Amino acid sequence: MPRRNNQRPERRQPHGRAQRPKRMHGRNRDEYGESFRCLHCRLDVPVSAPGTAHRNHCPNCLSSKHVDRSSPGDRASTCHARMEPISIAVRGDGEWVIIHRCVGCGGLGSNRAAGDDNALALTRLAVTAIRHPGSPLRIQMTVPAE
Amino acid sequence: MSPDKNGSALHAFFTCMRCGISVSPNTPSGRIRNHCPNCLNSRHTTMREPHTTDGTCGARMQPISIAVLRSGDWTLIQRCTGCSELADDHIEPDDNQLLLIRLAIRPLAQPPFPLEHLGALWAAG
Repeated sequence: MPRRNNQRPERRQPHGRAQRPKRMHGRNRDEYGESFRCLHCRLDVPVSAPGTAHRNHCPNCLSSKHVDRSSPGDRASTCHARMEPISIAVRGDGEWVIIHRCVGCGGLGSNRAAGDDNALALTRLAVTAIRHPGSPLRIQMTVPAE
Repeated sequence: MSPDKNGSALHAFFTCMRCGISVSPNTPSGRIRNHCPNCLNSRHTTMREPHTTDGTCGARMQPISIAVLRSGDWTLIQRCTGCSELADDHIEPDDNQLLLIRLAIRPLAQPPFPLEHLGALWAAG
């Protein structure tokens, strides 16, 4: 077993202060790292994502994991169940936000869509409400014939 | 009826926080109304993660999107403007239909990528 090298010089950040260690996805020490495995499609996903500081959902199937309780990044939830995407919301600046619902406890969460998310999955989620006009809806959503 | 802790009596009219109209809590479906049928806003009364001692926030919740249940019914997703907590609420038959459809098609009106190239993407993969 290789011995730990304690003589290595300490890495410093460009702005002088070292970043605090952040707990990544996973329950135990072995699961921390540079990637996580999606709970739904089992895809190995790297943590770094274009557009966001930290990736919080799978770019292939858009599923997430219930790790944050009240504020993003607090990692205070004890649920750790899979969160499935249920709808798309739009912020004031036109950015898409994925609304997740936890399959374990039923809690809701919102995640910004990343730059490399599956465009087909995002669009399918966006047209879900139009594909299934609900029962309380009285307006007929049919395209008039040309 | 005795007034509850928010000052509004159950089965009496309440006033919307945003548009100010008086609405009855009784709905055609028989459930207690949770949001204004005109502007779909509501008051944040029951918190999932209480930050205050009495468990209420009291701020206005605004509608952000429409989700579809497994039964095919629509659900209204609301976000609190005070504590930014999310909540879902069932849709009543007398809710504002134009606002509901506007919420449902809002992602397609502001897509982050060109939607006309999706056909080629679908054919390729």
